[in-house]
Amino acid sequence: MTMTAQTDVSPVAREQAASAGAARAVRLKAAVVGTGKISEEHLKYLRADANVELAAVCDLSSALAQYAVARFGASQAFTDCAKMLADVKPDVLHILTPPHTHFKMVSDALNAGAHVIVEKPVAPTNREFNELWKLAQSKKRLIVEDHNYRFNEPVLKIEQLLREGQLGEVREITVRMALPIRKTGGRYADENLPHPSHRMPAGVLHEFITHLCYLALRFLPSVDRVSAAWANVGGGTLFKYDDLDALVIGGPVHARIRFTAAAAPDTFSLTVRGSRGWAQTDLFQPYLRLVLPRKGGAQLSPLVNHIANGIGLASAGLRGFTNKVLQKTPYEGLQTFLHHTYRAFRERSQPPVTYDDMDRASRLVDMLVDEANRI
Amino acid sequence: MKLLVTGAGGFLGRYVVAEALRRGHAVRAMVRGSSEGLAGLDHPALELVKADLRSRRGLTDAVSGVDAVLHLAAAKSGDLYAQYAGTVVATENLMAAMTEANVRRIVLISSFSVYDYLKAKSFSVLDENSPIEKDAFDRDEYAHTKLVQERLVREHASAAGWGFTILRPGVIYGRNNLFTARIGVNAGRFWLRIAGFARLPLTYVENCAEAIVLAAERDAALGQTLNVVDDDMPTQRKYAAMARARLSPKPLIVPMPFAIIWFLAGMGVVTNRLLFRGRAKIPGIFVPARLAARCKPLRFSNQKIKQVLGWKSRYAMGEALDRSVSDKRIEATPPTKERSPAPAEVAA
Repeated sequence: MTMTAQTDVSPVAREQAASAGAARAVRLKAAVVGTGKISEEHLKYLRADANVELAAVCDLSSALAQYAVARFGASQAFTDCAKMLADVKPDVLHILTPPHTHFKMVSDALNAGAHVIVEKPVAPTNREFNELWKLAQSKKRLIVEDHNYRFNEPVLKIEQLLREGQLGEVREITVRMALPIRKTGGRYADENLPHPSHRMPAGVLHEFITHLCYLALRFLPSVDRVSAAWANVGGGTLFKYDDLDALVIGGPVHARIRFTAAAAPDTFSLTVRGSRGWAQTDLFQPYLRLVLPRKGGAQLSPLVNHIANGIGLASAGLRGFTNKVLQKTPYEGLQTFLHHTYRAFRERSQPPVTYDDMDRASRLVDMLVDEANRI
Repeated sequence: MKLLVTGAGGFLGRYVVAEALRRGHAVRAMVRGSSEGLAGLDHPALELVKADLRSRRGLTDAVSGVDAVLHLAAAKSGDLYAQYAGTVVATENLMAAMTEANVRRIVLISSFSVYDYLKAKSFSVLDENSPIEKDAFDRDEYAHTKLVQERLVREHASAAGWGFTILRPGVIYGRNNLFTARIGVNAGRFWLRIAGFARLPLTYVENCAEAIVLAAERDAALGQTLNVVDDDMPTQRKYAAMARARLSPKPLIVPMPFAIIWFLAGMGVVTNRLLFRGRAKIPGIFVPARLAARCKPLRFSNQKIKQVLGWKSRYAMGEALDRSVSDKRIEATPPTKERSPAPAEVAA
């Protein structure tokens, strides 16, 4: 199976791009369903954007919804999303509930005439995603999946380096995440109340692989071959898998996608190797390491690279400490993502995460999951 | 009475179950699926039910047929959302199940943490009439979620015409729980003791357990909010020394002058405002609201609970500390109704 990157295939996006010139400062009415931990990042944005009215929040827990009202200035709290959609009629609904609820929530929101910003994955499979997309097109509305890490500063910097030709042509990508999802007391390891994501096709790893896939796909021209080894290293029946090691080949580019629960410390690293040099970052402890041809030629480049990277790492260490004190989280890209998404809604232009981005990501997730089923 | 005890597998829960059985009640003890908190407890009037209050599943059955609920379950750690789930959502789910099962009496175990310690004047008496925090957003997750939990129970029970009692225990101490954050900081071998002269609102776990069961028994407790504090209200210095004497290995107690910590906390606030626009995360001990909640010198009263429940702290501090370090697993050996010995015999 081959899938190829395209610029955009969405009639809705084309229509919106055509009317981009008609941009005007429209104040959009936003609502949020699901007021768990990730909602804090969305609500911070909505509170800060003067062009957005935070009209309502909804959660099964009335108290949690009321907390969001008190803390982030939402106008109303609901415990029934259908009622919120009917009463408030939001322009945009943020769907931040567990993944297994997304399909129905997205359908309901589109049918109620709202654009949708939804946490990943939009749907458990590519088929279901495309069903939702067709519905969105028929309603002339947009679905935008949160690909927040794509908008973290180090990733944007690597993309810039590629555009400028400093890394040459992309040849290898490694996206690697290490998270202690089996840690006692953690949300995924809770035997008393198993996390809903355990029910997803790849278990709780389904929560993470969309991130890994969309980052790899930024640098993969196509997906021609996939092989993946899934494992439940920690054993037991709660986790379907806690380990993934996948190889994805597209044209001349090889991508390794790796998730482990067994290695420390927490890591979300991205390495892009090109025909001229390579760049590496860790989105959890941000830094940018660059190995490039430097002035001084082949003899002095290693020395200059090491010195430059040493200074860069020391600066990143200080910045990391400051970030910790100032409570900056790895979700910094989410604010940029939401800013561009709302601008696209207002200006009726193409959103920062397109149909093609979402379709490719969910197709790659499907291909990886199919590999699991093959074992 | 038939009593449901939530959080029965926890530190306090085990003693409440034992005390309720000792007083002749039938007890349904709710524990989480993985809990081993009641291991070894065997009594003909004890029924164990496994449920997780964060989910509605099975709760109505778990609640059905009891006369009153002693609601102890709460989350004491984790981020805000984990504490919301374990404390607030748990209480919402419990009350929904009580409504379905037509159970109309609840005793909520809240906390001293709900009081506004910044507003309280040093050396004044803190009692049930003292101001509570508005929302405690800027203090800590535990205080915030306990405030919300209290409000939920009060509003729901009042609207539904239930009988409710809210108990606010001070610092509950007992076996494996002799250090309290109100002393200062536990740094492993060292106890950094701040404000040695400040009094501690202590309640020994067995004394507290008796107050909780009494609150379910006494009609006079209906609609009341009661602080649970023992008669002994020692200074930090005295309590730390007495606890240390009974521990092995003995922690090294390092006195830290309150005035210096208070000054540093004030400097921290100013620095945070000036340099970081208030966004910086500062260690809890240097956050004035938290420092005041832990160490502000205050006096405490237990007059109201004595009047309403006729309760008195059965064990004085010395004996309570001895029981805390005794070899006998007191909470795991409740006597049957047929051979109820005096409490002192249990510890012998």
